Amino acid sequence: MKRWWAAAALCVAGAWWLAAGGAEPETRQPHFTDIAHKSNFAYRTDNNFTGRKYFPQTMCGGVAAFDFDNDGLMDLFFTNGAKLPELEKTDSRFYNCLLRNRGGGTFEDVTARAGLLGKDIGFSFGVAVGDYDNDGYEDLFICNAGPNTLYHNNGDGTFTDVTERSGITKPKDVLSVAAAWFDYDNDGKLDLIVSNYTVWTPQTDKICAVNGLEYYCHPKVYPSVAHRLYHNLGNGRFEDVTDSSGFGKELGKGMGIAIADFNGDGYMDVFVANDTVRNFLFINQKNGTFKESGYEWGVAYDDSGNAHSSMGADAKDYDNDGWPDLFYNNLKGQIWGLFRNIDGKYMNYTSGMSHVSHLSSHSSGWSNGFIDYNNDGWKDLYSSNGDVDNMGETSRQPDTMFENVDGKEFRDVSAQLGPDFSRAGFQRGSAFVDLNNDGFPDLVVTSLDEKPRIMINSADNGNHWLLVNTIGRRSNRDGIGAALKLTTVSGRTLYNHVTTSDGFMSSSDKRVHFGLGAEKAIRSLEIRWPSGIVQVLKKVKADQILTVTEPER
Amino acid sequence: MTRSASISLIIALLGAALCAQQPAPSPESLLQHAIALHQSGDLDGAIRAYREYLAAVPDSVQARSNLGAALARTGRYDEAIAEYDRALLKSPDNPALLLNLGLAYYKMGRHAEAAARFERAVSVSPQFKEQVTLLLAVCYNNLGRYKEAVALLAPLEKDKAGDPGFDYLYGTALTGDGQEAAGTTVINRILSLGDSAEARLLRGTLELSAHDRDKARLDLEKAVALNPRLAGAHARLGELLLTEGDSERARDAFIQELAIDPEDFTSNLNMGVLAKQDQDYAAARRYFDRALKARPNDPGVRYQLANVDLATGNLDPARLALEALIAESPNFAEAHATLSTVYYRLKRGSDGDRERAVSEKLMGQRDTLQTGAKTR
Repeated sequence: MKRWWAAAALCVAGAWWLAAGGAEPETRQPHFTDIAHKSNFAYRTDNNFTGRKYFPQTMCGGVAAFDFDNDGLMDLFFTNGAKLPELEKTDSRFYNCLLRNRGGGTFEDVTARAGLLGKDIGFSFGVAVGDYDNDGYEDLFICNAGPNTLYHNNGDGTFTDVTERSGITKPKDVLSVAAAWFDYDNDGKLDLIVSNYTVWTPQTDKICAVNGLEYYCHPKVYPSVAHRLYHNLGNGRFEDVTDSSGFGKELGKGMGIAIADFNGDGYMDVFVANDTVRNFLFINQKNGTFKESGYEWGVAYDDSGNAHSSMGADAKDYDNDGWPDLFYNNLKGQIWGLFRNIDGKYMNYTSGMSHVSHLSSHSSGWSNGFIDYNNDGWKDLYSSNGDVDNMGETSRQPDTMFENVDGKEFRDVSAQLGPDFSRAGFQRGSAFVDLNNDGFPDLVVTSLDEKPRIMINSADNGNHWLLVNTIGRRSNRDGIGAALKLTTVSGRTLYNHVTTSDGFMSSSDKRVHFGLGAEKAIRSLEIRWPSGIVQVLKKVKADQILTVTEPER
Repeated sequence: MTRSASISLIIALLGAALCAQQPAPSPESLLQHAIALHQSGDLDGAIRAYREYLAAVPDSVQARSNLGAALARTGRYDEAIAEYDRALLKSPDNPALLLNLGLAYYKMGRHAEAAARFERAVSVSPQFKEQVTLLLAVCYNNLGRYKEAVALLAPLEKDKAGDPGFDYLYGTALTGDGQEAAGTTVINRILSLGDSAEARLLRGTLELSAHDRDKARLDLEKAVALNPRLAGAHARLGELLLTEGDSERARDAFIQELAIDPEDFTSNLNMGVLAKQDQDYAAARRYFDRALKARPNDPGVRYQLANVDLATGNLDPARLALEALIAESPNFAEAHATLSTVYYRLKRGSDGDRERAVSEKLMGQRDTLQTGAKTR
């Protein structure tokens, strides 16, 4: 099957090469090819824009990449909008969508059979994947304009809406846009953090216009709200611990969420990117509470004390020093934030030194993340782009990929990644996922009023890799929060951790990805599980999907 | 008439008036000789003669003042200023000396010092007000003290409206002060004489303030095309480009502005910010220092310098600068926020908590005031 995928990618790449006039293709530069057209599915991201500009229309098209049927192939789920002002999925064009990966580069729309159309859940935004009941099947949490939705994966290809019995509620009319699963108290059960934006209904929607031209209102016309934390009690029940945990004290306009253990104390912390409000970094106090420490860590604002329109967020170690760093994007004219973690004590703003300031200011970013797209062992910066509004010639924008050069600086390689990658649009959600299990991350991106792009990495530079699928026993079954340290035979060390949350409104491949460059062998792989157990594997072969089960002790 | 031509005329007229006020000849022949040389236009000879005389009579205010004037006329402003300053030690309230000193500073583009001397001269001798009003207004415009410029110029509008030099000066003050309606009236007056870079610059400035970027771009690019040497046009275009995220073209625009006027505040400030973004902190400091020279004590520049200190790990200088800033400007929310981070880094947690609370309160109040919607 792997060989077939490679052949298909070459075919498509060849067609593009001919169309481009016979230029010599880059043999060492992976590129992306959209294969969405090969599958029969109706989903388009539909925010119901018909002239009237409702505030939530700008945020539509969450993506999740997960293996819902445990067949070893990652499947895809997309959220969708609703009819406005009714705020209902009045017909099929607004339905959410589950695509089963059949292999061979095609997908089957199994939404109805799975019970995930979402007819009753209104306008949907973000989606978070996690096995909250540790039954071995990934579940889904959907953020909506109305009540949020928890779907339990029944393990037979169907899902059941268990929101009501889960106890997950939120204050009336709060707009939830993104969520992340993580185990904040290391009790082996995944908890849930939900990023909320504001209080909104179609009836309270504000109209903003200048000279009769309507535009999407500035966020400041809407109130800030608290993000919400739900503690997993087991048995499918959750307790809202927003206030007791300290989350309730901080009011923001939440967008993307990044989960990582920023200070290395074995407990997961939470970064929330806020739109036009300072960003939050909730440091886990290891007693069920969090301290908002954005000021202390220097990530609340940029280096001039300015809050920007922070959008997507991700936390990974881009310089391979063992500490998770931080990346958020924002709108055109601003500068995307790249922060380097200094020994787990605070963050240094490195957008300038790394050239991110130069590279980013032309783009309005939404979903984003660290992704080692070329498997060289350095995590690159991806962003899905497009203006908030359609007000000018440059509103439709292409995605960007900034390639990491030795962990110090980045260079823009977007134009080298193929025409499918460079297609301009109003891109929104994105997920990193290895759809064909060839060890090179693929990309799935939604765009307003368009079919999603399912972009396969050409995987043709010969670099090696390792994918690690963690299965927790004392820890949560997904292993979310597990910290991995990989040492190659040459002594090079690489770091990553298990999370499904990155970017904005999206959920990525749970499997931990390592690019190894030219190295074919791994001296050791150390896994520090959320339970505290440390597991070390020696002499691991490269170029494999390695499933690791947490030991008893 | 261009702005620079208009200002040159003002200076020439004022300079002539001031020359006419030179003190009467001394009985001493050396001084007489120096004055004669000065009046005949032999400035180098006059300077030598004044210096010779002052070697013998160092306390002569008249000779030192004349020496300053001769030095200024040869463009040796630093030396002129030194002579004026020494003369003022002997005669601190001498309005002619103050005016000449103000002019020397003005010619060097040191508008803060110039304005201070002009203001002092007028306070000592109100009859000088008419002579310095326009110069003082130029200084105020350059210092961003637009309200004061408007207050000086508004009474003159009735008589001077239609004079392109005056209209440009007044229009700059009005647009800088955000007085859209009055500014537009003046701009239209200038435009009634035909298209001009000055009018385009003023209108572009107003449009930029109103976030109408498309119109602002048209006008500012036209201003630059009509007169590439017009002071302020490249800087304003650079500001526009920055709002559009085009930092590379913005940088080019600021560099062009600085080639015209190395002391331009806006360009130095923004070049400093761009250098800071690049984490080229040494260059950022250089630009910020130059911006501070143009607008001494400017809180925005001092704040940026404090951020450079924070970024480079100089926590105590950052703390001192920020503490001074918030003592002067208690509502400077960003300064409180940054000071909070500095305190946390210095392990002064309770101080950090306090500043954070102040910052959040101020930002909350500011958000409340911004009730109107605006595009992003």
